[in-house]
Amino acid sequence: MSHVDDGTLHAYLDGELAPAEAQGVDAHLAQCPGCRERLEEERALITRAGELLALAAPPDREVPPFRAGDVKPAARLWWQVRQPLAWAATIVLALGIGTYLGRGFEELREPETAPDAEPVRPQALETPLTSERAQRESRVKVTGAVRKRTAAQPAGPAPAAANRADYVAQRAEASSAQSAPNAAPAPQAGFVSPEGEHDVLRGPLISIDTARALLGRDPLALPGAPIRAVYRARQPGYSAVVIVEQSLDSGTVIEVVNKRASPMALDAVVVAAAPAARADSMRAPERAPQAGERASDSQAALNRRRAALPLASAKAADRTSSGLFLEIRGPVSQDSLAALRRLLQPLRP
Amino acid sequence: VSPEHLAEIYRTTYRALVRFLYRKVWDAERAEDLAQEAFARALVHKPDNARGWLFIVAANMARDDARRAARERRHLTLLTAEPQESDSATDEALELESDRARVRAALEELSPRDREVLLLWDSGLSYDEIATQTGLACGAIGTTLSRARRRLVQAYEAGKSGKHVARG
Repeated sequence: MSHVDDGTLHAYLDGELAPAEAQGVDAHLAQCPGCRERLEEERALITRAGELLALAAPPDREVPPFRAGDVKPAARLWWQVRQPLAWAATIVLALGIGTYLGRGFEELREPETAPDAEPVRPQALETPLTSERAQRESRVKVTGAVRKRTAAQPAGPAPAAANRADYVAQRAEASSAQSAPNAAPAPQAGFVSPEGEHDVLRGPLISIDTARALLGRDPLALPGAPIRAVYRARQPGYSAVVIVEQSLDSGTVIEVVNKRASPMALDAVVVAAAPAARADSMRAPERAPQAGERASDSQAALNRRRAALPLASAKAADRTSSGLFLEIRGPVSQDSLAALRRLLQPLRP
Repeated sequence: VSPEHLAEIYRTTYRALVRFLYRKVWDAERAEDLAQEAFARALVHKPDNARGWLFIVAANMARDDARRAARERRHLTLLTAEPQESDSATDEALELESDRARVRAALEELSPRDREVLLLWDSGLSYDEIATQTGLACGAIGTTLSRARRRLVQAYEAGKSGKHVARG
C-alpha cells in the first residue's frame, strides 16, 4: 500500500474509515515509520484544533426543557434586546393628531371625555379614508356627529358582560393618578383588577380584522416579529385599545398597544412588556407620568406630558405621518425601545 | 420523526447545535434562541433525518441572522452591549475573551466550506452526515477536515504571535 494521505489519516483518527480501509491503513502504518510519525502529528493537530474550538464555545448553560407540546415556532430573532436592568425603560411618545387640530380641538374635547369611556362600536369607527390628512380633516368636521353617536350608545359593543369579567385590570392606579380635570373614569365595576397596578384592561382575543375595525385603521406592529396574539383591551380615556403581542425572540415578548384615544380618533400606540415581565418592569415614579398622560388628550395635557417625561418629549418631536401616540415599554433599554418604535409599521391586510 | 424521538435528539444534540450556532453568530443567547427555534420548526416539519435537518436549518437561520444583523447594525449602535457575566474583568476572563476572539478570527480565515465542515464535525456529525449537508463526497471530508484543522491552528498561532509582536 502506498503512503497514507492526510485526509485518510484524519478519517482514520476520526474513526470514520470503513473497516476494510482502516485495516489497510493499519497494515501500512505497521511497516512505515514515516507514516506513523505523520499519524502522531495529525493526532496532535486534531487535538489542538479541538482545543481551540473549545476556547470558542458558548458558556455551558442548562439545557432548557424540551416542550413537545409547543409546536408554535419560537420567535424569530430580531436582535439582541435583553437588558435586564432596563426593565424600567418607558418611552411615551405623544404623536397625536390633537397637535394638528390645535385649539379648536381642545374646546371640543372637554365635554367628550365621559362618553370616551365606552368603547365605540366598531362599525362606527370604520371610516374608510384614503389619506391621513383627509382623515384628520373629516374628523374635525364630524366631531359633533361622532360625539352624539357615541353618547347615544351607552352600551359597550363587543365586550359582553361575560367578556368584561375576563378583562384584566392592569394599571388601576391610572385613574387615581389622573391629573387633568377631565380625568377619565376609573375602571368600571365588573372589571377584574387583580394586579391593581396596570391601566390596560386586557380583553378577549380578537382577529386582526376586528382590530382594524376597532381602530379604524391598520394596527401598528413590529415588522418581522411574529404576532402571538391580538387582544381587545380597554383603558380609561381611550375608546378602542388593541394589543398586538409579538415575540422578539423566544424569551422576549412585547406588546404593541394601539389606542384610539377618543371619538375624536386620536390614536396611540404602546409597546409594552410581556405581562410576566411587566411586574418588575415599572417603578412607581415612572408610572406616575404615564398615568397622568392618560388623563387627557388635550394639547395642554400633551405639553404637561412632554414636560414630565424628558424622553417622551424627545420622541414627541419624532412625529410620524400617521399621527399616533406611541408609548413603548419593554424588557430592553430605552435606546432599544426607541429603535423598536421607529420600526413600527401598519399591519397591512 | 415522533415528538418522543425528537425529544431524544434534543437531549443529545441541543448543546451541539448551540455550539454550532454560537460560532456563527457569536452570541450565546442568540445561539440558544436560534437552536430553540430550529427544534420548534422540527416539531412542525417532522423531518426524517431530524439531526441533519436541524443543522441545515440552523445554518440557514444563522446566515439570515447575520444578514439581518448587518442591516440592523445602525440600530445596534444604539444598544449597549449584552450584559457581560464577567464584569469583574479579571485577567483570566480577559485572557479567555482574547483567546475566544483569536479563535474567532482564525475561524474566519478559513474558507466557508472548510469552516462549515470543521464546525459540523465539532458538533458531532459523522462524515456521512457532513457529506449530506455540505454536498461534498464522503471521501473528501477527511481531506477537508485535515486542511481546515491545519489552517485553524496556523491562523490562531499567527494571530497570537502577531499580537505579541504588536505588544512589543
